Amino acid sequence: MCGILAVFGCVDSSHSKRSRIIELSRRLRHRGPDWSGLHCYQDCFLAHQRLAIVDPASGDQPLYNEDKTVIVTVNGEIYNHKALREGLKNHQFRTGSDCEVIAHLYEEHGEDFVNMLDGMFSFVLLDTRDKSYIAARDAIGITPLYIGWGLDGSVWFASEMKALSDDCERFMSFLPGHIYSSKTGEIRRWYNPPWYSEDIPSTPYDPLVLRRAFEKAVTKRLMTDVPFGVLLSGGLDSSLVAAVASRYMLDSEAACQWGSQLHTFCVGLKGSPDLKAAREVADYLHTRHHEFHFTVQEGIDALEEVIYHIETYDVTTVRASTPMFLMSRKIKSLGVKMVLSGEGSDEIFGGYLYFHKAPNKEEFHQETCRKIKALHLYDCLRANKSTSAWGLEARVPFLDKEFIDVAMSIDPEWKMIRPDLKRIEKWILRHAFDDDQNPYLPKHILYRQKEQFSDGVGYSWIDGLKDHANQQVTDAMLLKASYIYPENTPTTKEAYYYRTIFEKFFPKNAARSTVPGGPSVACSTAKAMEWDASWSKNPDPSGRAALGVHESAYEESKA
Amino acid sequence: MCGILAVLGCSDDSQAKRVRVLELSRRLKHRGPDWSGLYQYGDSYLAHQRLAIIDPASGDQPLYNEDEKIVVTVNGEIYNHEELRRSLPNHKFKTGSDCDVIAHLYEEHGENFVDMLDGMFSFVLLDTRDNSFIVARDAIGITPLYIGWGLDGSIWISSEMKGLNDDCEHFEAFPPGHLWYNPTWFSEAIPSAPYDPLVLRRAFEDAVIKRLMTDVPFGVLLSGGLDSSLVASITARHLAGTKAAKQWGAQLHSFCVGLEGSPDLKAGKEVAEYLGTVHHEFHFTVQDGIDAIEDVIYHIETYDVTTIRASTPMFLMSRKIKSLGVKMVISGEGSDEIFGGYLYFHKAPNKEEFHRETCHKIKALHQYDCLRANKATSAWGLEARVPFLDKEFINVAMNIDPEWKMIKPEEKRIEKWILRKAFDDEERPYLPKHILYRQKEQFSDGVGYSWIDGLKAHAELHVNDKMMLNASHIFPHNTPVTKEAYYYRMIFERFFPQNSARLTVPGGASIACSTAKAVEWDSSWSNNLDPSGRAALGVHNSAYEKQLSSTVNKNLTNNIIDSVPRMMEASAPPLTIRS
Repeated sequence: MCGILAVFGCVDSSHSKRSRIIELSRRLRHRGPDWSGLHCYQDCFLAHQRLAIVDPASGDQPLYNEDKTVIVTVNGEIYNHKALREGLKNHQFRTGSDCEVIAHLYEEHGEDFVNMLDGMFSFVLLDTRDKSYIAARDAIGITPLYIGWGLDGSVWFASEMKALSDDCERFMSFLPGHIYSSKTGEIRRWYNPPWYSEDIPSTPYDPLVLRRAFEKAVTKRLMTDVPFGVLLSGGLDSSLVAAVASRYMLDSEAACQWGSQLHTFCVGLKGSPDLKAAREVADYLHTRHHEFHFTVQEGIDALEEVIYHIETYDVTTVRASTPMFLMSRKIKSLGVKMVLSGEGSDEIFGGYLYFHKAPNKEEFHQETCRKIKALHLYDCLRANKSTSAWGLEARVPFLDKEFIDVAMSIDPEWKMIRPDLKRIEKWILRHAFDDDQNPYLPKHILYRQKEQFSDGVGYSWIDGLKDHANQQVTDAMLLKASYIYPENTPTTKEAYYYRTIFEKFFPKNAARSTVPGGPSVACSTAKAMEWDASWSKNPDPSGRAALGVHESAYEESKA
Repeated sequence: MCGILAVLGCSDDSQAKRVRVLELSRRLKHRGPDWSGLYQYGDSYLAHQRLAIIDPASGDQPLYNEDEKIVVTVNGEIYNHEELRRSLPNHKFKTGSDCDVIAHLYEEHGENFVDMLDGMFSFVLLDTRDNSFIVARDAIGITPLYIGWGLDGSIWISSEMKGLNDDCEHFEAFPPGHLWYNPTWFSEAIPSAPYDPLVLRRAFEDAVIKRLMTDVPFGVLLSGGLDSSLVASITARHLAGTKAAKQWGAQLHSFCVGLEGSPDLKAGKEVAEYLGTVHHEFHFTVQDGIDAIEDVIYHIETYDVTTIRASTPMFLMSRKIKSLGVKMVISGEGSDEIFGGYLYFHKAPNKEEFHRETCHKIKALHQYDCLRANKATSAWGLEARVPFLDKEFINVAMNIDPEWKMIKPEEKRIEKWILRKAFDDEERPYLPKHILYRQKEQFSDGVGYSWIDGLKAHAELHVNDKMMLNASHIFPHNTPVTKEAYYYRMIFERFFPQNSARLTVPGGASIACSTAKAVEWDSSWSNNLDPSGRAALGVHNSAYEKQLSSTVNKNLTNNIIDSVPRMMEASAPPLTIRS
């Protein structure tokens, strides 16, 4: 990942403004510790903090077209950049960076090229010929992007809120799959796949088609010039990523440079379910497995930093981000700069436990659509920011554009959880990789039931967080919560505690509006709360709350 | 390097205090990006940010003795830790960390063990049995350390000022080698040991070799000058036998920074080719450097002009080095102080003055080159090791009759002649003769002459004459006498507004890095305030030409204005940063 910051049309273009932009850009330096660059054109500034993954030697940003009239600052990876370069035969490229195609595609196609990009990206492009600019964010919002407006009429873009929150009067998260053009001053959606309308698809399920689509999604993400690994919690999704990556690694360029043994990483409290499950998978796949143990105290000590980095007060996200944040530091310290991760599968396939209660395939499908559209506020935000906090890049094959198209065109009847047919959650994904001749994973792992991330690291993690919050937040405080926080009022002491930390770092109204709220059970959208009347009584967002679904957790939470 | 922060006896053991200590400790995160730890015992806190060089897997800090009664947080490397471990056979060590020995040595010897440590270090040790603590810093001050006092009666210790300046009523730099370091040269008596080239050579080789102890990838900073070239040459020669070579390959990586076409880049490349190292060149533009100045001052915590000039290229280079996955570099600091390598030593009137000046210089290193080398690299989680400041090597070098160090053109002895001569091996040459006997460039000159001109021009744009006129009222302590100094001072005061902070930075008259005393060596020096090496006029021939016209201050100003368009041309298109 990298960090980008761009400011257009500020009244003041003096040296002190330049210093200020440099200072603000430094707030994103964790995202791109390797180098920084600033391009200044009249009253426009494009700043970049780089994490060098592809072409470390020459790919420093900002990037340009041939005559340097088009300038672009990008955070992301364009997996199909080689194919795109071939389509631009008459263009001369200055670097080997995958992001350089953007400047040239713009020159060739104007503003309508974003859908040609396959990858995750946020970028800002300045065309000095007519002083117009565009900003765009990838389809799902894997990379973060914020837009803001200054009192002096300036327009700001930044990878993280912290770079613009102090200098903008108003700001919000930039919608994924959208593009902003200064010519019209409008933000419009460029991502328009069939599933977006939430109509019920009818393509029959073909396991091999799904398998191939996912394998392709993983292999294209092996494009790297630096050491990498896989986050392996031992659950279905991360295990599949690891299985596919280790199977195809031998053929990749990366293996030639960094050895063909895959590195895998797992985090947990000592003795946690994830550590055990991951080790089992790692042993099966013969990866070089690294375990990181953290203590509840270490997690609590990190909370402020976690909230500063991930920029949310959403309880589930904070809980799940903390172990990932701690692990990312350790991974980076081993010299690894990029990891593959399993986010997105639960949204696409309805993997959360509350999907057991989906009343029919239409509701099921619409809920998956809503979940995918909201990913940028939850798991994408978590995965990206908790790794980027330490200059580590997370790639998420389940959120491959083509893979989503395939998976979301399947008749949702197949995704429904049907105990009568022995179909547990995400059955179609499990079945797609159920290969008896050349097994990807042992059967019992392939059909193992879900642990939510923050549960899997050890049940005492969440209990520890709650205890800690109970000590910090009194009953009187919680009682007055609706007066202090009228918007998204915290309903638990834990939520209240996170909120106070968030407000300390991001005191503006606009900041709290970037975080979603509303009732939810075990990660459901507010709409799905209607599926079971009993859910509205239990405000705990942990997976355990979807009572009567996960057998092993049920026992414990009853006690 | 790592970052340490300790708060002792603050009469507050609340969660709010813990959070505050964590927050302050994070200000040192650049020094130790790999992991962090916080130990709390009542109202005492020991925090640590770790850069893992030795035993990355298990050496997280704080470290303990067997029964965890003694807790220690350390920034540094103990090169003789294996030997020390062997001297403690009845102790059980929990980690492979080199710093693990400290807690055990304390248990065995009480407070009088610091002199047994061979390395660079700053540490705080808390003995929970009687709630006592000790603080120590290495002999020369290679690692930084500050001490502060809070209004609540607490004592604060921090690797960098930024870890404690907002919470202490008063603070100062912790004196290096304090209370335990007492070598013979410290008295400044004139030594009389005759010069033996082979003894000096062996002492330096030992100093380099012991610094090859690492579990992570490393390299050498190679400016192409004598000191860094010697370091590179010895490292390359001895790398093959080390543990590091087995893990990371026997080919040495060397790094050099400069403006395009600068003297250092040329010289560095030449040496690298001779030694067959994997050489990495980093080019920066004047604009890159100027854009980094605020960050540099925040990190190195000084407003000393020479230090800032020299730190900036090193700071930029360190980021690039770190991005290559390299965590440690060996660097040539200290040689000029020990051997009187600065150009102004040409004017030393006699061997006594010469020797005393070298002693003063070594004692002041922690405020200048040690501070620069440590903080400019630590800003990016890179560790710098400085073999010239090896305790034993200093003893050998400072014991030599200073008559041998004197610069004697009539005997063809240029500066640092005894060091050059020690490595002048006809059979197995360390370096080609012309490099071995090449004259000195100061760091900030060597990266390209237009770097300093560019800085001056930039300062000129931000500091007007009226500001200079009132400088003594605004900054009564260490009043800046040039616009460049004023400009740096403004930035420093913004980050570190406390009175204590400005007192940590040395001041006084200086010529080309001399101490105030040595300014007396030449009466003309007091008229020229530029601390660059070039100012020691009439000594370095190639620089002399360029500088001649600007001996009078008025001409100097014109010269600066002339150089503005030149600087802009250097970075095409204007105002673009590219590395």
